[in-house]
Amino acid sequence: MKHTLRLIRRFVFILMFSVILLFVLNVILFIAATYDKANTRGGWQWAEEITEELLSSDGDGLKLSQKGAEILEELDAWAILVADGTGDVIWHSDNLPQEVPLHYSAADISWGTRGYIKDYPTTTASKGKDLLILGHPKTRYWKQMWNTWDYNLIKNAPGTILKAAGVNLLVIVFIYMASTFGFLRSVKPVVDGIERLPKEEVHVRERGQLSGLACAINQASERLRSQEHALKKKERAQANWIAGVSHDIRTPLSMVMGYAGELEENRELPDEARKQAQVIRLQSVRMKNLINDLNLYSRLEYTMQPLKRSKVDFAAVVRLAAADFINSDLEQKYPVEWSMEEGLSACMIDGDKELLGRAVNNILTNVRVHNPDGCRIIIKMEKEKGKDGKRTDGKEKDETGKDETGKLSLVIEDNGTGADQEQLERLKNTPHYMMCDRNGSSERGERHGMGLLIVRQIAEVHGGIAEFFQSQEGGFGVKLTLTLEHIAVMIEKA
Amino acid sequence: MANDYLKQKRLLLVDDEEELLHMVEMILRRDGYTELRTAGSAGEAFRIFREWKPELAVLDVMLPDGDGFSLFSRMRRESDLPVLFLTARGEDEDRFKGWDMGADDYMVKPFLPRELTSRILAILRRSYKNENPVVRLAGSSIDFERAEVQKGEERLSLTAKEYELLTALYRNAGRIVTIDQLCEAAWGDNPYGYENSLMAHIRRIREKIEENPSKPVSLLTVKGLGYKLITEETP
Repeated sequence: MKHTLRLIRRFVFILMFSVILLFVLNVILFIAATYDKANTRGGWQWAEEITEELLSSDGDGLKLSQKGAEILEELDAWAILVADGTGDVIWHSDNLPQEVPLHYSAADISWGTRGYIKDYPTTTASKGKDLLILGHPKTRYWKQMWNTWDYNLIKNAPGTILKAAGVNLLVIVFIYMASTFGFLRSVKPVVDGIERLPKEEVHVRERGQLSGLACAINQASERLRSQEHALKKKERAQANWIAGVSHDIRTPLSMVMGYAGELEENRELPDEARKQAQVIRLQSVRMKNLINDLNLYSRLEYTMQPLKRSKVDFAAVVRLAAADFINSDLEQKYPVEWSMEEGLSACMIDGDKELLGRAVNNILTNVRVHNPDGCRIIIKMEKEKGKDGKRTDGKEKDETGKDETGKLSLVIEDNGTGADQEQLERLKNTPHYMMCDRNGSSERGERHGMGLLIVRQIAEVHGGIAEFFQSQEGGFGVKLTLTLEHIAVMIEKA
Repeated sequence: MANDYLKQKRLLLVDDEEELLHMVEMILRRDGYTELRTAGSAGEAFRIFREWKPELAVLDVMLPDGDGFSLFSRMRRESDLPVLFLTARGEDEDRFKGWDMGADDYMVKPFLPRELTSRILAILRRSYKNENPVVRLAGSSIDFERAEVQKGEERLSLTAKEYELLTALYRNAGRIVTIDQLCEAAWGDNPYGYENSLMAHIRRIREKIEENPSKPVSLLTVKGLGYKLITEETP
């Protein structure tokens, strides 16, 4: 609807502008057209001129000068001079038509001055006490004979003109509105339909002048939906396929892992054989992680993994993942150093507990995979304050009196095998679907693939970021930055 | 071994994959369990359940004649036996479905033998803790039934919180239990901001169970993360 209003506003503006422009243009044209005529002398001036050229000749006769004769000829006009008192014509040009009388009463003269003599439009000029009448060709002039104007009319002219213009404008706008609203009414559903098209399925009633358009919109909508549906279906099929494959691999892999684990711990076997069993076990754990990653990856990628959001204490999630990691590190090859910013207790974020735990777990697993001989792991949690250290939501304190919000960062670093710049670049920039583009040049680059991409995905679905870098400790580093809901301050209860 | 009585428990293993069933049985036998029976279908499992009255069941979610969840609810209608779900489907729906129904634990295939045995042991400890007479530590022993610690000739009783904390630690003996898990065990649903209290309680527990509380050997701190209880039976 807002589009339609804007449209109307724009049209009304254009209309007004055009009317004004048209008016100005007309005035200019009128002036241009009359400019020429106004400059030349009209009938009355010619009459004056003729009186000048009517000269007294010797004796009592009057004679028109050569120039006067030329003027008459040019104008194709005739002239008479009516004597004062008698009303007789005392001089006339040679070309005087027969029908023109040679004697005039006072009434005739009044009529002749104001209007016509025998349908000849006339102009007059006085010659002494006599009156010169110039008769023009019948089609030359139109004379307005009753040309008196009411003084009030003249006085009020500006107002009257303005009123008239206003009324005219109103009429024009009314005509425009009447014609446009009808059109707009039929356009509106079409416009609405187009506006909604990107968001939802649209059905516009196919009626009125624009039924063709409405029909096209409906078809477009249907087509969009069906394509979207097909795409979803395809993605779903793909994710389901991956889920199915990983399901089918799990049971046989259980047996590989199970028996390898058993053989490894069987003291009756020679050490060599137990070592080999250990390799089988470790490699099948890798396979298991790969399968889990692949499955979760495809579910996240095709948004088949619904986020179960709730208030989660991220510190607890990280601690749990770290504890699980240490618990499973039976040989204690991966000492974990934990450091948390002073005063940080519970770091509440809005997120999916399982997925967040998975992200931390993936980071730690990644360290183990790339450092089979063990390394030191440093886990740091810090609060990054929002701008000016103020709450981003504008509230001073929430109802529980907890601290301000901001960003929370988790950094997990190791002092083991690092990654080179190229691999880091790749991790940063590889679109999810390109992860198979491996060059096999290095163990790390090759295998970082999915596990860390999932970390990135999980960070992204939580509105956070995952960064990978070369650690100061010499190894690999991952930094997760998430939005903090609030931090519980340490309170002594007990 | 103090766990010996737990290894006498009757365990029912249900999976449609015969090979896997075979392997799990072998793993458990090797770990010391003696009373084991297996079933390849829900019907068979339920029959054994009625006749044999197992004390723990390991159920596969996918069975040829129905799923593990419905088998589980049928069993639960008749008894409270603890159940560990074993499944090849890692999706969360299954997991939560399992939790909501009151399953005791859940494992996604593939798994390592050690994972399986430690989880089964943890469930058994939890479920049959009242039968658990005494847990031996390096410098003392804990009697969970009487909520007492025996240190030399001394008998020291445990407060409610100390008892809860020790139970949580004992259930995961040998493994790190995070600060958060301990707070939850002792203070329940909204366990935030109790770190200092927890430290105080741990100190008091140490005074009771450790020979030298300033140099603990049974209740260890894992800096920043949590605590770990080392029992004499911890492998």
